[in-house]
Amino acid sequence: MSEHIRLSIALCRIGFYTCLRTLCCKGPPTPRPEYDVVCIGLSGAGKTALLSRLCSEGIDGIVPTTGFSIKAVPFPNAVLNVKELGGGCQGASNGGDDWRLCTYLFQWSHGNVQRSDNIKKYWSRYYQGSQGVVFVLDSTVSDEEMEACRSELHLALQHPQLCTLPFLILANHQDSPTARAVPEIKKYFELEPLARGKRWILEGSTINNMEAVRESFSQLIRLLEEKELRPGRI
Amino acid sequence: MSYSCTSTGNSQDPSSSNKSGGGVNPGSCSGSSSSGVSSSNSSSSSSVSSGGGGGGSSASHSVRGGKSDSKPASAEAMKVKKGCNTTDVGVPVTTEEELLANTIITPEDVLGLQKITENYLCSPEDNIYNIDFTRFKIRDMETGTVLFEITKPPASDKGGEKRDIDPNAGRFVRYQFTPAFLRLRQVGATVEFTVGDIPINNFRMIERHYFRDQLLKSFDFEFGFCIPSSKNTCEHIYEFPPLSEDIMREMILHPYETQSDSFYFVDNKLVMHNKADYSYSGGP
Repeated sequence: MSEHIRLSIALCRIGFYTCLRTLCCKGPPTPRPEYDVVCIGLSGAGKTALLSRLCSEGIDGIVPTTGFSIKAVPFPNAVLNVKELGGGCQGASNGGDDWRLCTYLFQWSHGNVQRSDNIKKYWSRYYQGSQGVVFVLDSTVSDEEMEACRSELHLALQHPQLCTLPFLILANHQDSPTARAVPEIKKYFELEPLARGKRWILEGSTINNMEAVRESFSQLIRLLEEKELRPGRI
Repeated sequence: MSYSCTSTGNSQDPSSSNKSGGGVNPGSCSGSSSSGVSSSNSSSSSSVSSGGGGGGSSASHSVRGGKSDSKPASAEAMKVKKGCNTTDVGVPVTTEEELLANTIITPEDVLGLQKITENYLCSPEDNIYNIDFTRFKIRDMETGTVLFEITKPPASDKGGEKRDIDPNAGRFVRYQFTPAFLRLRQVGATVEFTVGDIPINNFRMIERHYFRDQLLKSFDFEFGFCIPSSKNTCEHIYEFPPLSEDIMREMILHPYETQSDSFYFVDNKLVMHNKADYSYSGGP
């Protein structure tokens, strides 16, 4: 028998079997590709809330993340294994404004914050193995805090283990009247010059519009897929 | 001290389910208690093909979208190796007796175990990093329904009260599910744990599920680095391979003959060992 016919028969067999499996629910469909993504941002940006809503979970009872939170977030054509890292202080037991100011530039120790150590110093321990980055910021914060966001974003963009990866930057809390508009944030963060040559997406977001958030993540997935098609390029 | 155990699934009649994952009755559990929730996945998925034998079809597998940029996995990368069905190629078979004689037990040691252990391979005191499991939850990924959730109540040691409890009580959980559980396709299992003051460089969990001394599935998850004094959660999705009717029937008819060992390692040394068993008959 010619190779051609043999190959055709083999393909038919595979096709038939796959159809049979799918019809008879005898096996799962082809598994979706998985990508490991790290999610960072200052405390209070809304990382946990966004990721919980993406996983169709409730957001009642969310407290500041004091370590890592790994979630497998399913999308139609991929699964993102998101490692979310807390942005604030470890050991502190209450939320509130003193959290948000606990950045690497400023150390605040209010009464109830038990430790002034900062989780952010550990972020880079989790960068290895990541294929993409999600950076979340609160669009409503003060100028001082926005300055801190910018520093952190720039650090991440330049970090040796992240600098070649696609970034999804979410300007969260866009539904708030005091939110800065996305174009303003883009300009302030100097993304055009600073992130030139890198792949990044900047979108506004709010947990009250998860459709849009999903679309933003889908854009990230496209970037992740593209990267695999041209492995040699930086 | 007892766990609060909430079974919050739908109370739909399972027979009305029109898709494979739906209409699952919630499970329940009885855990005897003090210190830790077993993080074992109660999704004791069977990956044994109907041909029997341990070398069955590959279990759930993941397709990693491309490669990571970095060097070969060091101790700090987090990854899950799924679907390790049988003894890994090259991993020598080990027995419980041999391991109990060692001062240190490594991940490779337990990957060679062929059956559930009779004894715990370490003592509660070996948990020098003060790792404490505080919550475990599983949900059906197809419907989003939380099937099972167990949380440890906040520590409430009454001073001086010395109770006569089994020292292993906190290391064992008994799960009770209905037969419908075995028809699930995709389950998300969330584990939450706290860590003491010492940073942990490489935290790894290996969990092995057996039905009557036959290895069904082995999970291997590296958490990597854990920040001191942190509370961390991890959810991963398990794809169940289809179970043959025969195997399912056996598992349902023989409650608690499905068992699991969960081993936890820090820097490749065993520090915790939890156990669980499972019923799918729907009753106590």
